[in-house]
Amino acid sequence: MAANFWASSHYKQLLEQEEVDVVHSPDKEKGFTLEDFKLIKMQMSNYIAKLAQYVKVRQRVVATAITYMRRVYTRKSMTEYEPHLVAPTCLYLASKAEESTVQARLLVFYIKKQYNDEKYRYEIKDILEMEMKVLEALNYYLVVYHPYRPLSQLLQDAGMTELTQLSWGLLNDTYKMDVILIYPPYMIALACIYIASVLKEKDTTAWFEELRADMNVVKNISMELLDFYDSQKVTADERIGAALHKLALKP
Amino acid sequence: MAVAVPGQLNLDESPSWGSRSVDCFEKLEQIGEGTYGQVFMAREIKTGEIVALKKIRMDNEREGFPITAIREIKILKKLHHDNVIKLKEIVTSPGPEKDDNGKLDGNKYKGSIYMVFEYMDHDLTGLSDRPGMRFTVPQIKCYMRQLLTGLHYCHVNQVLHRDIKGSNLLIDNEGNLKLADFGLARSFSNDHNGNLTNRVITLWYRPPELLLGTTKYGPAVDMWSVGCIFAELLHGKPILPGKNEPEQLNKIFELCGAPDEVNWPGVSKIPWYNNFKPSRPMKRRVREVFKHFDRHALELLERMLTLDPSQRISAKDALDAEYFWNDPLPCDPKSLPKYESSHEFQTKKKRQQQRQHEEAAKRQKLQHPQQHARLPPIQQSGQVHPQLRPGPNPQMHNSQPPVVAGPSHHYGKPRGPSGGPNRYQQGGNPGGGYQGRGGQGGGYNSGPYPPQGRGAPYAASGMPGPGPRGGGSGYGVGGPNYSQGGPYRGSDGGRGSNMISGNRNQQYNNWQQ
Repeated sequence: MAANFWASSHYKQLLEQEEVDVVHSPDKEKGFTLEDFKLIKMQMSNYIAKLAQYVKVRQRVVATAITYMRRVYTRKSMTEYEPHLVAPTCLYLASKAEESTVQARLLVFYIKKQYNDEKYRYEIKDILEMEMKVLEALNYYLVVYHPYRPLSQLLQDAGMTELTQLSWGLLNDTYKMDVILIYPPYMIALACIYIASVLKEKDTTAWFEELRADMNVVKNISMELLDFYDSQKVTADERIGAALHKLALKP
Repeated sequence: MAVAVPGQLNLDESPSWGSRSVDCFEKLEQIGEGTYGQVFMAREIKTGEIVALKKIRMDNEREGFPITAIREIKILKKLHHDNVIKLKEIVTSPGPEKDDNGKLDGNKYKGSIYMVFEYMDHDLTGLSDRPGMRFTVPQIKCYMRQLLTGLHYCHVNQVLHRDIKGSNLLIDNEGNLKLADFGLARSFSNDHNGNLTNRVITLWYRPPELLLGTTKYGPAVDMWSVGCIFAELLHGKPILPGKNEPEQLNKIFELCGAPDEVNWPGVSKIPWYNNFKPSRPMKRRVREVFKHFDRHALELLERMLTLDPSQRISAKDALDAEYFWNDPLPCDPKSLPKYESSHEFQTKKKRQQQRQHEEAAKRQKLQHPQQHARLPPIQQSGQVHPQLRPGPNPQMHNSQPPVVAGPSHHYGKPRGPSGGPNRYQQGGNPGGGYQGRGGQGGGYNSGPYPPQGRGAPYAASGMPGPGPRGGGSGYGVGGPNYSQGGPYRGSDGGRGSNMISGNRNQQYNNWQQ
């Protein structure tokens, strides 16, 4: 939103990996593992993206919504904050914050379309109620910087616009993980460019050197992303199902 | 972590996250009232600090947390500057309904949200409307410089304020001026091609490009408003008090000349140019109308009230203007006189009395309007500031000790009905929107200048009060209920819901306001 990421609340709120990977005690009591926690967050990211397609909002809104959802779960348990409600609520809130307002009514319509299961069907009042809780959990910090703009700028600077599509897709996938909570957006953008250039066998060593970016960080993010893709080779559906089942257990 | 047991209050001083309850504050006095809800002066129980609480009312919201409040919070959370009002925190109060267990938490969305601001004693309009108030030139320069500094900061941070006017400029007793009410503000980017709504900025301060319907604009819109305020400070009254949009444009053209492709390249392509273009040639008369201003002031004003937004002076350049670097120099804010303000708790009874007095004063004022018109500034820089002890009620001055003088906010007072065309529901209200401004036309008999109001082209006297002064204006997008408001005006209510309903009819994606 603003010119200066470094002065933003987003920058000040960047977390360490260990702070993000905390399974809260109500969830732990159900036998929830960190893996389960991550899987459900990924599943909810996908859910947000799917709903967003229905209600037709920009990618930016999706990215902000997922970031909200992930921020909420650094502080709240899934037991208290039911993911299937938090996810659409974050989309609803993000649509306002990003000036692409979606009506709650519309969202509820598509939630019902998505789920036959009575358990996950929510009404407008549920969303509005959860909105307040989400706002509070976010401490009303609503500004999120995304790597999309830096990505296009960097690609243009580098004269590698042919990598746009690939790196953009990679970037979309980073939202299935928590990297947006941990790294500055331009670093995430650089990691996507890095992977894309390796895949397309483009030599970018000189360009990266000139940029003087911290390549350790860039490589860390890249490794995380590649690990993530590896883990996705094993079909995740089953594991997600198991994790959701645990969550459904009564405490 | 500060989580309260259900049913108990959360009074922890600063939770690492989440919000405290409004019960951490003791409400002292309501200082603002509008359809949106209320603004309170309050004291934080733990620290004794005085704050302003602006209520965001939720109970009428069909779309949850109002988008206008979201905008304001988003923007205020990222702006940190001495000349921008500080949003200290957000607190909540549970809704009226309890569930079976008496648990409050679950119904929070039906409760209220309060934005907690630093408390400021006055706003610029309230201050300058004090009876007998006369600003000195160094004082005006001091306020103008702070206004421009704050605005420059906003613009650098890619925020358009979009409602610059006197009642949104708060002043404390240290002489500090701060921009407030970011309920209409929004961010922009220089490469941003999206359309913005042109229905922003209170009518009298709205620039010609918005009145002509442009939806692509930038920081220059705020600079026009600054120009209007600048001229108002020097002139002693609002310079462009239009009753509706066409009249507003007409007043602008009468003062600044008619726009054409020569003085404003591209103007003929602006949506409503052909509807509004004047039928007769009109000359720019700024220098003539304000010939009594000093040279540097006039020079700066000319550049602020430039029709073509692309040629209008920026906040940054305005700060470099000769005006601020020539004698008399802007004074140090701290050297400004401290005007009476009411930090003491005032009882309800006193308040009521005060209101009754105000009512009485209002009636009297209408009969003797000339007594309390605003005065143009004092020219001599070295002059001692008139020691003013104005109470909220001018009529009481001579007979009462000036102890309970109120802060010169005018929130709470009906300063003007909702602006904009077809939004003058309050227009018939006798005296409604105009107390404090009544009879400005003839009020200059004691100033160093000949009475300018008389026969001036913008004489406001006799107008029944359709001005959008107090916060109401044409940006209600068809809403009838956006009326007065103070600088901490709540951003839900009329405006909020109107904006949202405006949105509803639009494409949801890529819709920009």
